[in-house]
Amino acid sequence: MDQRITPAMITGSTVNDINSALTALERSSSELSSGKKILEPSDDPYGASQVIDLQSQLDGLSSFAANAKDGVSWATTSESAMQNISELMQRVRTVTVQASNGTYNQSDLNSLATEVTQIAETIKQDANVQYAGQYVFAGTKTTTPPYQQGETDTYAGNGETVSRAIGPGAAVTVSTNISTLLGNGAESKDGKLLDVLRTISQHLTEGTAESKAALTSTDLKGLEANIETLSQLQSVNGSTTDQLKLATSRIEALQGAISTTLSNTEDANLAETSIAFSNEQAAYTAALRAGATIVQESLLNFLH
Amino acid sequence: MSIPTLQGLQTALSGLLAEQQALDITGNNIANSNTEGYTRESVVMQPSPPIVIPALSTKTGEGAQLGTGVSVATYTRIRNSYLDAQYRTQNSALSASSTQAEELAQAQSAFNEPSSTGIASQMSAFWTAWSSLANSPTSEAAKQGVVSAAQQLTTSINELSGQLTTISGQVGEQVSALTGPSGEVQNYASQIAQLNGQIKLAEQAGQQPNSMLDQRDLLLDKLSSLAKVTVSQQPDGTDTVSFGDASKPLVEGTSVNWPQTITAAAGGQLGALLGLTSPTGALTALGSSLDSVANTLAASVNALHNSTPIFSGTTAATLKVAVTAAQVKASASEAAGGNAVALAIANLRGGAAEQGYAALVQQVGASVRTAHDEEATGKTTLTTIGNQRQSVSGVSLDEEMTNLISFQRGYQASARTLTAMDSMLETLIEHTGQVGL
Repeated sequence: MDQRITPAMITGSTVNDINSALTALERSSSELSSGKKILEPSDDPYGASQVIDLQSQLDGLSSFAANAKDGVSWATTSESAMQNISELMQRVRTVTVQASNGTYNQSDLNSLATEVTQIAETIKQDANVQYAGQYVFAGTKTTTPPYQQGETDTYAGNGETVSRAIGPGAAVTVSTNISTLLGNGAESKDGKLLDVLRTISQHLTEGTAESKAALTSTDLKGLEANIETLSQLQSVNGSTTDQLKLATSRIEALQGAISTTLSNTEDANLAETSIAFSNEQAAYTAALRAGATIVQESLLNFLH
Repeated sequence: MSIPTLQGLQTALSGLLAEQQALDITGNNIANSNTEGYTRESVVMQPSPPIVIPALSTKTGEGAQLGTGVSVATYTRIRNSYLDAQYRTQNSALSASSTQAEELAQAQSAFNEPSSTGIASQMSAFWTAWSSLANSPTSEAAKQGVVSAAQQLTTSINELSGQLTTISGQVGEQVSALTGPSGEVQNYASQIAQLNGQIKLAEQAGQQPNSMLDQRDLLLDKLSSLAKVTVSQQPDGTDTVSFGDASKPLVEGTSVNWPQTITAAAGGQLGALLGLTSPTGALTALGSSLDSVANTLAASVNALHNSTPIFSGTTAATLKVAVTAAQVKASASEAAGGNAVALAIANLRGGAAEQGYAALVQQVGASVRTAHDEEATGKTTLTTIGNQRQSVSGVSLDEEMTNLISFQRGYQASARTLTAMDSMLETLIEHTGQVGL
C-alpha cells in the first residue's frame, strides 16, 4: 500500500529540513568567524587533546628558546670578561719579559710591580662580573662576589654549575669555573693565575738577580700555563655559545613545524569552509522555498 | 406480500442520515487536523436489513430481498498499536540520548577547552613559571610568578570540580522533580488510570470512547519519554502500563503504583539522568578523572620540591597552593643560584598530569559526541516511525475534502430520491380517481 501523506508530515519534515540546513549553516558560520574547526572537544575529541598537547609543546619551546637566549647572554658576559683577563695576562707577560732584560732600575721595577698588582685587582673585578644581578663566575653562589678586592685572593664561589634547559631533559652548563684559572692566591701556592701574579709582583719588588731569573723561568712558565688554561676555558665557553645558538635555531624550526601541525589540527580550512558555507546557504534557501511552495498547496485551492 | 408503500421514503431518509453523520465525522476530522494525538476516524456504513419478498411474488416466481437503505455501524479509529509500541520504544531511547547530550554538553562547556584560558594553558603557564625561575633562581618576582601561576591553576581546577558537582546536583534535582509526588510520572499515571476507568465504563455501555482513547495514547507517548513504557491492553478496555525497570506495573486498571524504585536501566530521561550520576556514570567518571589529574599534579610537583609541598589536597575540589613566594626554592642546596629543582619541575611539562588532563578533555568530548550521534540517529528513526504513524492515523485535508464532496453528493442524491418518492406518492394521493374530471 502506498504511504498516505498528510499535511502534518509535510509540515514536520519541512521544519526538520529547514532546521538541519540552518544548523549546518550556523556551524560553518562559527567556523568561519572563529577560524577554528575545533570549537569544543566534541567536534573532534582526539584533535582537542592533540591541541592541548601541541599548545603545551609550543609553550615549552618558547621557554626553551628564552632559556637558550638567557644562556647565550650569560656565556657572552663570561666571554667578554675572559677576553679582558686574556688581554691583561698578555700585558703581564710583556712586563715580565721586559723586566728580565736588565735595563730597568729598581724604581722602574717597583712601578711595574705596582702595575702587576693593579692588574691582579682588575682581573678580580672582571671575575666579579654580573649578568642580570647574578655573579656569573661564582658557581651557584650567584649572590656572592667570587673575589674580594684587596689582598685576599680566596675564591668565595663554589664548584657547582649553572645550567639552562634547552629541551625536555636537555640542559647545557653555561657557567665557567673561574677558580680553575684564578685559584686562591699566593698563600695557597696553587700555581694559579693570582698566585703567579702575586709572585711576579713580589719578584719585581725584590729586584735581585735570583728574582729576575725566576721571572723568566718559573714565573713566565706559570703565566703561560695559565694562558693555556684560560684559552681552554674560553674555548669551552665558546662551544657553549655555539651549542645554545644551534639549539635556538633548532627550537625555531620545531616551533614552525608544531605550529603547522597545530594549525592543521584546529584551524578551519577557509577555502573548504567557505565553499561548504555557500552550499549550505543554497540548501537553506532551497528548503525555505520548497517549504513555502508545497505547504501552501491543497485541494482547497482548486474547489469552488 | 407487497412492498410497503412508504418504504422508499424510509430508505431515502436512512441515506440522508448516514451521509449527514459521515459529513459530521469529516468535519470533526478537519477540525482536529492539527490536534496533537488525534486519530482520524471514519464512518463504517452497512446496508440495513432487507425486506424479504417471499417466493411466487415476482414474475419468475422466485423470492427476493429488497434493500432498505443504509445504517452507520461504527466510527472507526484508524490506528496501528504496533506502531505505537515502536514509537514509544524509540521515544524512550531518543529522550535518553538527548538528556545525556544536554547534561554532558554542560559539563563540556565547563571545561572551556580548547582555549587560551582553560586549565591546559594554565598548567602550561605553571611550567613556564618554573622555567623562568630556573633562569633567575634568586628573583623574588620569578618566585611570585610561580605562586601566582599555581594559584590560578588550582582555582581553575577547583572551579571546574565545583561546576561538575553542580551539574550532578542538578541532575539529582531533576530526578526528584520528575519522580516526586507532583512530578510528571505521578501526573501522567493518575490521568491514565482515570481514563482507564472512564474507557471501561464507556465500553461496557457499548460506546466507542475514541477521544478518550486518543488522550490515553497521547499520555502514554509522553510517559515513554521519561522511561521505557510497555502497554498491555486488557479485555475490559483498560491498559496495564509497565514503567522502566519498576517491579510493579505503574498503572493497573484504575490504580497507580508510584513511587517505586527505578535505576539507570529504566531508559528514557529518568534512566539517563540516573545513569549519569551512578558510580559508573559519565559524570562520575569525569569527576574522578579530574581528581586523578589534581592528585598527579600535586604528587609529582611536591615530590620534586621536597623542602615544602607546593600543593596541599589530593582531590580537584581540595587542591590548594600551600606555599608563599618566600618558600619557593629553585634548588635543594643552600646556594642561591642553584636551579636543579626548578629545572626538574619545568621538565614535568608534557608529563602525567598534563597527559591525564588531555585524556580527560578527550573523554568529555567523546562522550558528548557519542550522545549527539545517538541523538541524531534516534531523531531520524523517531521521525520515520512518527511519519508511519501519521500516515495511518493523521488527517489528510485533501482526502477529507474529497470525502466531503462525496458525502455531500450522497446527501443531495438521497434528498433527490426523497423528492422522487414524494412526487410518486403525490400522484397516488392527489391524482388517483380523478380520471376525466
